[in-house]
Amino acid sequence: MIAFEHVGKRYGGRFEALAHLNFRVARGEMVFLTGHSGAGKSSLLRLIMRLEKPSRGRVVVAGHDIAQLHPSQVPFYRRQIGVVFQDHQLLFDRSVFSNVSLPLEIQGVEPREAARRVRAALDKVGLLHREKALPVELSGGEQQRVGIARAVVNKPALLLADEPTGNLDPQLSADIMALFEDFNRIGTTVMIASHDLALIARLRHRILRLRDGRLIADEGAV
Amino acid sequence: MKRAVTPRTKGAAPKSKRQSAKSPSESPAERRGARSQQTRFTSRLRAWGRHHRAMAIDSLYRLVRHPVGNLLTMLAIAIALVLPAALWLTLDSAKLLDAELEESATLTVYLETAVDIAQAARIEEAVGAEEDVVQTRLISAEQGMAEFQQSLGLDDALAGLEDNPLPASIVIYPQSVDPSSMEQLAQRLEAFTGVDEVRVDLAWVERLRHLANLGRRVALALGALFGLGVLLVVGNTIRLAVESRRREIEVVMLIGATHAFVRRPFLYSGAWYGFGGGLLALGLLGLGNHWLAMPVAALAASYGASFVLPQLDIAGSTILLSCSTLLGWLGAWLAVTRHLSSISPR
Repeated sequence: MIAFEHVGKRYGGRFEALAHLNFRVARGEMVFLTGHSGAGKSSLLRLIMRLEKPSRGRVVVAGHDIAQLHPSQVPFYRRQIGVVFQDHQLLFDRSVFSNVSLPLEIQGVEPREAARRVRAALDKVGLLHREKALPVELSGGEQQRVGIARAVVNKPALLLADEPTGNLDPQLSADIMALFEDFNRIGTTVMIASHDLALIARLRHRILRLRDGRLIADEGAV
Repeated sequence: MKRAVTPRTKGAAPKSKRQSAKSPSESPAERRGARSQQTRFTSRLRAWGRHHRAMAIDSLYRLVRHPVGNLLTMLAIAIALVLPAALWLTLDSAKLLDAELEESATLTVYLETAVDIAQAARIEEAVGAEEDVVQTRLISAEQGMAEFQQSLGLDDALAGLEDNPLPASIVIYPQSVDPSSMEQLAQRLEAFTGVDEVRVDLAWVERLRHLANLGRRVALALGALFGLGVLLVVGNTIRLAVESRRREIEVVMLIGATHAFVRRPFLYSGAWYGFGGGLLALGLLGLGNHWLAMPVAALAASYGASFVLPQLDIAGSTILLSCSTLLGWLGAWLAVTRHLSSISPR
C-alpha cells in the first residue's frame, strides 16, 4: 500500500527532516509511527498526503509514485485518504453533522446518501446524538472523534492519524485507539503517528521508530 | 470495505447494484461499461449542479447577513457604473439628433437679386438635371422673407423694410452627403449663370458628428476605467472574504477539494456584488432621470424643441446588468485565483 524508497526531505536546503527512509506497509496493515517530537513523524505523514514532495527518493502509494501526480489530480488522490489531525481541523462555524459530511460534499455525494453515511460514521464513533452540536460545545475527546468520523466517512482505503490522542487522558486514548483497530479490522490500512509509547506497546501492532529523521527500528513487522 | 487507492479514478463511485443485476444475455461487459460511465457522468453533473445551486444561495445568504457593508460595496460599484452609462445615454440621444441632421444636409444656391421668378425656375430646372442632385426646392424672395420673419419672430422690424433684401434661393438635397462630393457639386453649381453663391450646410453637421465621436470615445475610455474600478472594488472585497475564510479553505483542501470547488462560492459572491451594483446603478439612473427631466424639458421648450431625456430600455438595462455581473464575477475570479496560490494546507 505504501512504499518509501530512499526517501529524504530537506527544508530550506539545510535542515534534514527525513533521510534514507526505506519501508513498506502492506494493504490492511496497522502501523504505529513513533519517535520524540521533531523526529520526522509529521513530515512523513505530510509526504504521504502529498502536502509535500520528497527531496530525494520515491513515495509510492497504491502503485503510484505520488510525486508524479499532476497538481489537478492531487485533490482526487487526497479524497482516498482519511486523515485525523492532532488539532482536529474542524470548522467551528459548522455543526458536527456538517463537519463530517464535508468530504462527501466535496465529492458531490447525493445529499440523502451523504446523510446516511454521516450518521453511520457518527454512530461508529458514538456521537450520533450530538450531530446538531457545534464543535465548541464538545469535549476534546469528542472533537477528536468527530475528526475521526470525518476521516472515515467516505470509507478510505488508507487512514492516517497524527497524534490522535495528543491531549487526551489514558482511558479516552485507549478508546480512540480501539476505534482505529475496528477500522483496521474491516480492511483499512491504518498508520498512526504517536509518542504515547506505553499505549502503543500494549496494542501489539507494527511500530516504526524514527529518530532525527531516520528509521531506527521496525518492530513487529509481518 | 476495501477499496484501492488509485489516483487515476478521480473518486469514482462504486458500481451500483443495478448493473450487476443485468441480464447476462446482452454482452454484459460492454453494456455495463457504457452504463456505468453514463451514470457516473450524469451523477457527477448532478452533483456539480447541486453545488452550484448551494453556493449561489449560500453566497447570497452571506451577503444578506451583513447588509450594510455589502450595500456600501454595491453602491461603490453602482456609482462606477452610473457615470459611463449616463454619458453613453446622452450620446445615444445625440446620435438620434445626428441622424435627423444627416437628412438635412443640404446645399443652398443663392441667386443674384436681379434674377426674376421665371429665370429662377429655369435655373432650378438646370440645377435639378445635374447628377448627384436628388431633389430641389425653390424658395422665392418673398417666401424667404416669410420664413425668415417666422423663424426670428421679427415681424415688426422687418415689416419696416421697403425692399426685400433677400435673394431667391434653391435648396438642393444631394445624393451623397460626404463632404468632398458636396464640395465638388457646389463648385459646379457656382458656375451657373444667375448663381451668386453656393453654401454648403455641412460644416456644423460635421462638427457635431466629430463631437459625438469624441464623446463616444470618452465614454468608452471612462467605461473601461470605471470597469477596472469595479474589478478592483470586487477584487478587494473578495480578497478579504477569502482571508476571513482561510482556515476553512485550508481544511477543505486538506480533504481533497479542487480549486474550482474552493473558488465557486467566491465567484458567486462576486457575481452577486456585480448584480446588486448593477441594480443600484439602474436605480440611480432612473433617479437622475427623474431629477433632471423637468429642467431639461423646460430648457428644450424655451428653444421651441421637445427633447426627452433618454432612458435605458429593457435591452440596455439587461446589458448593464449582465456587464456588471460579469465584472463582479471576473473581479472575484482574479482575486481568488491570485490568493489561492498563497494558501496551501498545513
